[in-house]
Amino acid sequence: MLIIFIPSILLVILSFFKINRTLMAAVSSLIIVPAIYIFMHPFVNEYFLVDKLNSFVLLISSIVGVGVSLSMISLPERLNLNEEAIKRFYRFFGIFWFGLIISILANNMGIFWIGLEFATLSTVYMIKVKDSLTAHKEAWKYLTVGAIAISLVLFGIILMYASAKDVLGEDAMNFYALAKNAGKINNFLFEIGFTISVTGFFIKMGFFPMNLWLADIERASIYPVAALFSGILESAIMLGFFRLSKIEMLVNTSHLVTFSYIYAIFTLFMVSFLIYRTKDFVTTFALSGIEHMVLITIFWVSGGYFAALLHLAAHAFLKPALFLSSSMLEQKRRYSFKGALKGYSNKLVPLLISLLLLGIISIPPSPMFFSEIFGFKAMLDVAQDSDYFLVMIFAIFIIMLLLSIIFYKFITIYQEALYDGDDEPKKVYKSEIAMLLLFTISLLALILPQVFDYIEGIIK
Amino acid sequence: MIDVLIGFYIATLITELFTTRLYRLLGWYALNSLFLGLIAIYMGAEIGDNAMIISGSITILIKFMLIPYVLKYIATKFNIPRNINPNLKVHYSTIIVPVILVFTYYLVNPIIHNMAYNANYVALSISSLFLAMLLIIEHKNIAPKIVGFLSIENALFLLAISATKGMPMLVELGIFVDLLMLIVIVNILFKHQGDF
Repeated sequence: MLIIFIPSILLVILSFFKINRTLMAAVSSLIIVPAIYIFMHPFVNEYFLVDKLNSFVLLISSIVGVGVSLSMISLPERLNLNEEAIKRFYRFFGIFWFGLIISILANNMGIFWIGLEFATLSTVYMIKVKDSLTAHKEAWKYLTVGAIAISLVLFGIILMYASAKDVLGEDAMNFYALAKNAGKINNFLFEIGFTISVTGFFIKMGFFPMNLWLADIERASIYPVAALFSGILESAIMLGFFRLSKIEMLVNTSHLVTFSYIYAIFTLFMVSFLIYRTKDFVTTFALSGIEHMVLITIFWVSGGYFAALLHLAAHAFLKPALFLSSSMLEQKRRYSFKGALKGYSNKLVPLLISLLLLGIISIPPSPMFFSEIFGFKAMLDVAQDSDYFLVMIFAIFIIMLLLSIIFYKFITIYQEALYDGDDEPKKVYKSEIAMLLLFTISLLALILPQVFDYIEGIIK
Repeated sequence: MIDVLIGFYIATLITELFTTRLYRLLGWYALNSLFLGLIAIYMGAEIGDNAMIISGSITILIKFMLIPYVLKYIATKFNIPRNINPNLKVHYSTIIVPVILVFTYYLVNPIIHNMAYNANYVALSISSLFLAMLLIIEHKNIAPKIVGFLSIENALFLLAISATKGMPMLVELGIFVDLLMLIVIVNILFKHQGDF
């Protein structure tokens, strides 16, 4: 178990010496080895729980981590970073991994929170690696808003702990014990705590009413940070939501469905409006991340676990790939294939990026196409079983309508990328091609029948 | 005795809201943390919980002694403005603070009815959470916002010891480590930027 922390500790130690970027990428990529080992050997103890769900999330996160590490080899050339800034970036990248692994593997709500807070705080410095006033301001904003969101999560955890302390003692912190004894705990107190914690999670992921704070931060920071946010941190937060919502389902499913649907529709309304209005493609990608988290939330609470997990994995690969490819294609704050890659003989890069861009809007054979089909089926099943059939159908219709606005915007971005832009040649590094290939292969692996079967078996 | 200590705890927090000088704000935060630590020690001694006594002692060490000292050092080192006038005028704050204290009690009434013990302390800790959030909202400068966040942590610690008779020791220690990490990050952010 402790082996999994070695790459992150090594990263922190090596960051104090002269940096060899290829070595750092190799060291941070090592995370995938223990992640695969843990994936194959689940276990549970008082503080940590490795089941199919979190070992799957850890594996996805470690693949994203490898992709980000690869892209970081060429990062200083792209941004003209000095040695000291690179050292500090790797130091906090190591701390980020450390906190994140604790959070993903935790079987204890308190330890989950500690890991998440650790990862959150370590990203603050990574935001301001880019030396600009906007990045400085966004780092402070992230510290303040992120701290409030994470405090709400802790507030909720304390109430949930209080709801079961008399029955379970210190085990009331334990996800597993809480789920097992859901019938014995103080339901009212648990639900209040759950609502507050989930609101904290939602704020951290940029849900209503804090839709723009994360998008602004992702725009102001460097692309690998945006990739870490969308591919890893959001998956870890979502895992916390999965764990708590499974307990809430045992306490009161209808409250969970009503709360999540109302929150989701408000968020989706705001996000689709903002995506329609925004002109900047990075902000569009960041806002679309919120849209996908909303979809995962409603698929999950509707009982579409397969759809939610497939969507989570697909989003974790697609979005970081798009963010990281932005450094190759960005031209005057626009995404452009035409000018940016002129003179570059390898046509593979534009082809891969095109596939990824079309994949994020669920064009088949993207895994998102399948996840949305199964997700909407789960939502219709919930509507059929509900006493409020027409209201539910109306809600699903509204969600589809809002999604179509986002679909339209992404098609526009794709068309602009194809036909607009000036003829300014830009270099593409080998590490970036390797990163794109890694994400594309991972995405293709998701649509294999064996992987479908595995994901379906995660939550029985 | 706990009633008296919680009274002083709330009083110091309210004073933080009206303070217009940074060093004085740090002083009030330190006193706020001292009373919090004493509450934990006293409560722990009353119920015979050694873990809570240790948590209280660590609170005094870290939040009463270490953090205010480090923050004062950072403020001096990076010439952070000491004048921290709140955006909210004093007469509005004078109205808002009692309103928060009274209405929180009604707002959390259903919660405290579900509490087996320390129901009034739970209501007060949630009020102090809102007061700490007010501290964040009413200031434009970043330094008082950080003190506001640290005060939120204090409020949550009070909630944890009153609503649950203390969290598991490992979790408490982890939260302290996170707080220290926050101070490191704040130091780095100021080092490379200064206040704005």
